Amino acid sequence: MSHDTRPSLPSIALAFAKISSTSFGGGQKASIRQQVIARGWMDRNGFMDALEIALVLPGPNILNLALYCGQKVRGVPGAIAAFLGASVPPFVIVLIAGALYFKYATNPFVQGGLRGCAAGAIGLTIGNALELTWDERTEWARIVLLAATALTVSFLHMPLLLVLVLFGGIGVAHEYVRTRKGKQ
Amino acid sequence: MNASLDNLLHLLWTFAQLSVLGFGGGKGIIPQMHADAVTRYHWVTSQQFTQFYTIGKLVPGPTTIFAALIGYAATPGRPLLGAAVATLAMFVPSSAIMVGFDAFWVRFGASPWRAIISQGLAPAIVGLVWSSVWTIARGIPVSVVAYAVAAVVTVLMLRSKLSAPLLIVLSGVVGVVALR
Repeated sequence: MSHDTRPSLPSIALAFAKISSTSFGGGQKASIRQQVIARGWMDRNGFMDALEIALVLPGPNILNLALYCGQKVRGVPGAIAAFLGASVPPFVIVLIAGALYFKYATNPFVQGGLRGCAAGAIGLTIGNALELTWDERTEWARIVLLAATALTVSFLHMPLLLVLVLFGGIGVAHEYVRTRKGKQ
Repeated sequence: MNASLDNLLHLLWTFAQLSVLGFGGGKGIIPQMHADAVTRYHWVTSQQFTQFYTIGKLVPGPTTIFAALIGYAATPGRPLLGAAVATLAMFVPSSAIMVGFDAFWVRFGASPWRAIISQGLAPAIVGLVWSSVWTIARGIPVSVVAYAVAAVVTVLMLRSKLSAPLLIVLSGVVGVVALR
């Protein structure tokens, strides 16, 4: 037992702390991929599996990826170390940003800057929505479902749980039927 | 004391539900979070919600970390406690599902259900992202400049290599000049 080659819990926490405090948006997945493969914690196929499960289950992708990798190398304690590494630095950073916000938000220059930033964030979200919609273009049924969800939530304020059960359910049923037809 | 304990429990319950329902990386929870934090509990205004979301996009890590700021604003007496409760509620339940699912996943992995569920949920998630755009847009001033900034950023995000935080900062510079 003196030759435990598994990574230590602090090294897992630190690896994900480094990623979570320096990478943004889509760059996070690439950073995790690069780090875990370079450290020999996972191979490419292992990472693809991790990515797939991280994308399906609820929770931020970066956090789910970190949890999966931590658990793979050190079990549940490894997952806890990865959780702390992936969540504590962003929490501290966002609190600092929040403290500054509450101190200076009434300043007209800061308020102007924040409005500009918010407009930019809307642009990013529209860009993201367009990219995701482009991936759905394979079938009319998917686009109709997408539009029905967007309109029902925006204008009728349908609760999220109902949206997932109803529109998510229709989507899953449709995909199930399509897959079965494809097999025959 | 009772009022603030109630408030903390509301925070805990609200964000824990959002955590469990945060399929697709949490992209789809924004409209529900707005309904809870702004309309139902009045923790923040629509404008603050949009600005907190923006800060979430600006800082490294998951965007939904801005739950911490809603918790901060919701508990004026003890902002750090509110921030910690909201963040733990946002991240712990989904993490527990992720970790608990591990054993099951190995078996589940080979089955076609994995692809059926992720493909099947996708249209609803993307619809929710469009609804998020609508939700967030309610928190910016009705202004030609703001809409123009959003449009230009949309194009730059899709057609240039500029990073998301850089685009937000540049938008902020335009705002300092033209949106005061």
